[in-house]
Amino acid sequence: MASHGHTIDIFSEPRRFDRAGPGALIAALIGVAALAAGFVMKPGGADLRQFMNSYLLAYLFVLSISLGCLFFVLIQHVVAAGWSVVVRRLAEQIAGAMPLLALLVIPIVVFRTELYPWLNPTDEMKHLVEHKRPYLNDTFFIIRIAAYFAVWTLLSRGFLSASLRQDASGDAAITTRLRTLAAPSLILYGVTVSFAAVDFMKALSPMWFSTIFGVYWFAGCVLSGVGFLALVAMWVQGRGQLTRAITKEHYHDLGKLMFAFVVFWTYIAFSQYMLIWYANIPEETRWYLVRQSGDWWKVSLVLLLGHFCIPFVLFISRHPKRSKATLFVFAVWVLLMHWLDLFYLTRPPEAPEPLLAGSAGGIPLHLLDALCIIGVGGLFWAWVASALARHSLVPERDPWLKESLAFENY
Amino acid sequence: MSASTVTKKSAATAGPATAPHSLVAEFASADALVRACEQVRNAGYTRWDAHSPYPVHGIDRAIGIRATRLPVLIFLCGATGTTIGILLQWWTNAVNAGVEFPWVPTFLQGYNFIISGKPYWSFPANIPVIFELTILLSAFGAFFGMLALNGLPQHYNPLLRVDRFRRVTDDRFFISIAMDDPKYGSATRRLLEGAGAAAVEVADDVKESAPPRWFLRAHVILACFLLIPLAVIAYMRVDKQTQPRIHIVQDMDNQERYTAGKQMANPVFADGRSARPKVAGTLAREDFTQDPHYFQGRIGDQWAVGIPMYHPELQKLAGGAAEVNEQLMRRGRDRYAIFCSHCHGLDGAGVGRVATYTTEREIGFVPPKSYVDPDVLVRPVGHLFNTITNGIRTMAPHGDQIPVADRWAIVAYVKALQRAQTATLEDVPTDERSRMTQPK
Repeated sequence: MASHGHTIDIFSEPRRFDRAGPGALIAALIGVAALAAGFVMKPGGADLRQFMNSYLLAYLFVLSISLGCLFFVLIQHVVAAGWSVVVRRLAEQIAGAMPLLALLVIPIVVFRTELYPWLNPTDEMKHLVEHKRPYLNDTFFIIRIAAYFAVWTLLSRGFLSASLRQDASGDAAITTRLRTLAAPSLILYGVTVSFAAVDFMKALSPMWFSTIFGVYWFAGCVLSGVGFLALVAMWVQGRGQLTRAITKEHYHDLGKLMFAFVVFWTYIAFSQYMLIWYANIPEETRWYLVRQSGDWWKVSLVLLLGHFCIPFVLFISRHPKRSKATLFVFAVWVLLMHWLDLFYLTRPPEAPEPLLAGSAGGIPLHLLDALCIIGVGGLFWAWVASALARHSLVPERDPWLKESLAFENY
Repeated sequence: MSASTVTKKSAATAGPATAPHSLVAEFASADALVRACEQVRNAGYTRWDAHSPYPVHGIDRAIGIRATRLPVLIFLCGATGTTIGILLQWWTNAVNAGVEFPWVPTFLQGYNFIISGKPYWSFPANIPVIFELTILLSAFGAFFGMLALNGLPQHYNPLLRVDRFRRVTDDRFFISIAMDDPKYGSATRRLLEGAGAAAVEVADDVKESAPPRWFLRAHVILACFLLIPLAVIAYMRVDKQTQPRIHIVQDMDNQERYTAGKQMANPVFADGRSARPKVAGTLAREDFTQDPHYFQGRIGDQWAVGIPMYHPELQKLAGGAAEVNEQLMRRGRDRYAIFCSHCHGLDGAGVGRVATYTTEREIGFVPPKSYVDPDVLVRPVGHLFNTITNGIRTMAPHGDQIPVADRWAIVAYVKALQRAQTATLEDVPTDERSRMTQPK
């Protein structure tokens, strides 16, 4: 009855895929095919601009997940968490896809003029964009993007490879060193993610001001990262691995993190909204005005309900977080909502001046949005799945693994 | 150990009287504790507990502790906070209680404030307060609820009278079963010993005890000290102060400034003037001459005699009507009560609270004239409007405080006041006149 001292032995647990399986290869092929088809054929009379809009959306969605998992790894080290060791390798591998994402960012840099109006400002924008030129200039933009991926690749691959080295050596000093490194790494992470949010998304509306924008995206990153991590843990268990190591206690904690970041996202989103609403300054409110006119108000409403109200009410209790089935629904739901959130951030048009009611028009969903998410997502999954197959699915000689295996919520 | 217990019991005659309170069993390991707990639980005891130096996995189930009710309590507290947050803001700012709920005493009424031009009830502005109150009350619920459900603070625990029990914070594990447990009996000791207890002892509790003398005295003295602030406040209420009050938060209230009276040159400006001339190309409020009827109450060089009901802002106050109607009058009465009545009185006789007080105390203060003063009665509405806007004699200008349309609504209401107090029988509708003339 008592579970005290009755933890499982990790070395008796299936914790390694025998081989990569065809899944990764198929995902990669489908991914390449979808992206190529989208780029070459441009269905539905799309132009390069439409393709790049859809590509940016899909790319940011995958990048969010990877960055979210990188944060997960860093924060577990910095707080010296014991509970999370059994799922940390999965997060390390998802974050470890950063070299692929560095490769996939190249189209955005190459076709940046299709996306970012500040590179080719209209007369209305010129005056303000000129003032922002010290930051918003072509050279610095490219340097920044390169810097982000240098930092993220260094962090994610560094923490992953150190963890893999520990699998071989069992050296507890690695854990100590990673814990020390995690704190400065988090500072680097916070700065780069904040500025990346500005460069990738806020720069789509160069006339706009919001100082909290980076935190807003960060909240979405962690939310989708942990949601995806929970799904990968379920997938790994579904294939017969770590079946006893990952328990409902661990899922419960992943659920708590998701719930916390649902609320945190709302807190940040409302903080941004309320200040702009209260001050009522035209160059700030136009961003929201566009998102409340035409059909866009429906997207705003769905976000309010779906990104906050519904998950808040349904998942505040501990029971749905402790059941795999309901947690699966929660994870899929937050991923969908994060995608919609990115759509809401990136897709609406810059406000024409003067903004006429309804001028924002309908919601420009496009077939390319689906093709791009299949494409980028397929490549991402191919990387993650094959990386998972190459190594143990758990940091098997981490000194805190035993605590993680015995972990229990009260 | 048992010998020392005996010694203690025999010595009890000297100290306060004691009675057995509970049975304490010591265990050497956490595993032994968990196994023993399962046996005690299965035996059906209810008033008992396990004690350990650190959290033990599985102890909750072994004791059979039911899930805590704390989350429910926190939820209820949080929901209360949400409700209070909503009601508080609705009542204090979104309700014109003086009009909508006139039976509510004044000190309980809220007040419609326009803040940043937002509606009285605007949800985005209300959310932070609702949120904070929800969090505050949830935190109170969690903190105090946890203390209450655990029976804390507990300054004294009879178990600590057992010397052996003190190792519970170090390296020993204990089960205590209270003797008022309905299951308690001679079998209890056997159960604990059978469950692997290393030792079983009786914990005594003092039957009754009074707190020491110094404790009571200290409280009396402390209570006396607590009365000092109350005494000071009471004294200040009746004492006459000749010095200005201590001005702790300055808020730039007493800063150096250039005034006309000082006749000083201001070094900041080249021409030495601190009151700046108008910036070229700008227009002061009073110089705004477009539509002089509406904005200044003038037509040509004459005071206007009609209320400019053609103006859309004024029509908005009248509910869309292009004539003076009851809605506009109500608006006027409302604004009059806020901006005018403190001096002019609710009836316009010029004996409002502030006017009376100031007339008594301030030399040079010209009290307001009654609205039915013959001079005032003949003034055209444009003149009244101008007086509200720019002030007259000691009356301050109110143009900055009252929007134009509201000033006209007040004018309309002032005219109604005049009319009401100079009415003759002819003003009463014919079918009502008989009621006025008939003796009772």
